[in-house]
Amino acid sequence: MSHKLRDGGQVMHVGTLARVEGEGAMHIELRDGKVETVQLRIYEPPRFYEAFLRGRAYTEPPDITARICGICPVAYQTSSCWAMEDACGVSVPEAIRLMRRLLYCGEWIESHALHMFLLHTPDFLGYESAIAMAADHPAVVESALRMKKAGNDLMDVVGGRSVHPINVRLGGFYRMPTVAELRAVRPKLERALDEALAAMPLLASFDFPEMEQPYEYLALRSAAGYPIESGDVVTSAGKAFRVQEFTQHIEEQHVEHSNALHATLDGGGPYVVGPLARYTLNYDRLSPLAQETARAAGLGETCRNPFRSLLVRGVELVEAYHEALRIIDGWVDGVPPSVPVPARAGEGFGASEAPRGVLFHRYVIDDAGIIQDAQIVPPTSQNQPSIEADLRTMVEMWTELDDHALSHRCEQAIRNYDPCISCATHFLDLTVDRR
Amino acid sequence: MVTGVGEVLVVGLGSPDRGDDAVGPVVARRVASLGLAGVRVLAHEDPTDLVESMTGASAVVVVDAVWSPGSTPGQLVVLETGDGAAPLPEDAWERTGRGGTHAFGLASAVELARALRRLPPRVVLVGVVASTFEHGAGLSPAVRAAVEPAVATIRAALER
Repeated sequence: MSHKLRDGGQVMHVGTLARVEGEGAMHIELRDGKVETVQLRIYEPPRFYEAFLRGRAYTEPPDITARICGICPVAYQTSSCWAMEDACGVSVPEAIRLMRRLLYCGEWIESHALHMFLLHTPDFLGYESAIAMAADHPAVVESALRMKKAGNDLMDVVGGRSVHPINVRLGGFYRMPTVAELRAVRPKLERALDEALAAMPLLASFDFPEMEQPYEYLALRSAAGYPIESGDVVTSAGKAFRVQEFTQHIEEQHVEHSNALHATLDGGGPYVVGPLARYTLNYDRLSPLAQETARAAGLGETCRNPFRSLLVRGVELVEAYHEALRIIDGWVDGVPPSVPVPARAGEGFGASEAPRGVLFHRYVIDDAGIIQDAQIVPPTSQNQPSIEADLRTMVEMWTELDDHALSHRCEQAIRNYDPCISCATHFLDLTVDRR
Repeated sequence: MVTGVGEVLVVGLGSPDRGDDAVGPVVARRVASLGLAGVRVLAHEDPTDLVESMTGASAVVVVDAVWSPGSTPGQLVVLETGDGAAPLPEDAWERTGRGGTHAFGLASAVELARALRRLPPRVVLVGVVASTFEHGAGLSPAVRAAVEPAVATIRAALER
């Protein structure tokens, strides 16, 4: 819907953006070619879950919170396990961290392959959707489906299912996959890695709009390896703190136009989580293969252009396949699948790098393990202010475009973040009154 | 029973934890319990995977919740398409429970399979009009009552 402002301004309102992963709408007001208001309205499920979790057993969050998102259940499971283990004073052995990392690689592969090739690439090749693109570029889409399938297969063997894994529990897993089972997935991962590498020159050839984000970047960082399943927090302004200090630095605020909370970092302006932040803060942690892939694609050691997040996801996709193969090759049978996590009263914190950025969980439990308080800070609510800021910048550059083109560009600006709101163009229903 | 070189596939789409969105997997499980010869039954949450699963099948029946304001919850909506048939209209099934954000909707999955020449000759879509997609909720009474009629509709489609 849209309506006219009395003083001749222009209101652009994109209605329902999505249904399941979260619902949202976009509202932009223009006056004399200047952007007056940009509001991304997101109706997120995590708030519901925070209330729903209170009074439940401390063993339940990995299964319950995994339901929040069909695309990144492993992120919810992993962050909730870290947080609850922290509350109970338990550290899991290195082998369990590695198996969490392997499962997480499967989720990154599924999510990145889908987003890069079926949702993002059509924007750059000038198609409305992957369906239209598939008619002219069937090989690209076929390859994308195979790349994604390799992630599904990895999730199947480690998680027990390709969507909403059932093998994760506090302290580890119900059952460890065997070396033989893991090796069986290896050829698919190897082929998918080759296909990801082969796809990069096409992606690098796209015409990326020039834009540099001035915002602070925030990501996890570990002593070794690219941040996936764990790490401490670092920012591009040089801040570094432990996950346990997250809530001392990140403040969530209600804003009137959205029921997603807006997060701010140390009371400052927008900050960004996700592929660009991870890459910019952890280039030195990438494997030599992924670094070489980045260089060949024309990326430097940092990247602040949100449109180029496509290339950064490509580098991360290569890293995920490479890392999965490395973990599989080093795996040995006989590792205990889990360690005990006895309940004790306390507060615990956990974070991991969901495909679209840092996902933070905090729980307070009592002696019997009953949850007294739960807090979930998803990547999309952290990125929401910067998505709005990007839209503000871009809409001012594009006010000469007609309604359809402007709407499409705004979708692209949102799609750069792969947020948990709609990316599906056919959901967008935009009309604009112009005077 | 549909004849063809490939198998017949029945897929229930939907999240098991989002109210009436669970009707797809619930109906699929009921169909699986019938043990029909030559019929493979799957439950999926992600329609993108449908492209892969339906490849090579002679016929596919997909059952999913649909959101259709103005329609009666529990009502069944049946669409037929297939390789050689007309594409689904752009808005067909866009409001199914899994027609989500970074996910593909069911109509997108069917049309993507068609574009890749992977669509089976016969595709039957059985929609159950939903009344709630609340997190943590179970099936509403109206949709629960539609489970057996949906199973019967699928059986009838398989016998045509």
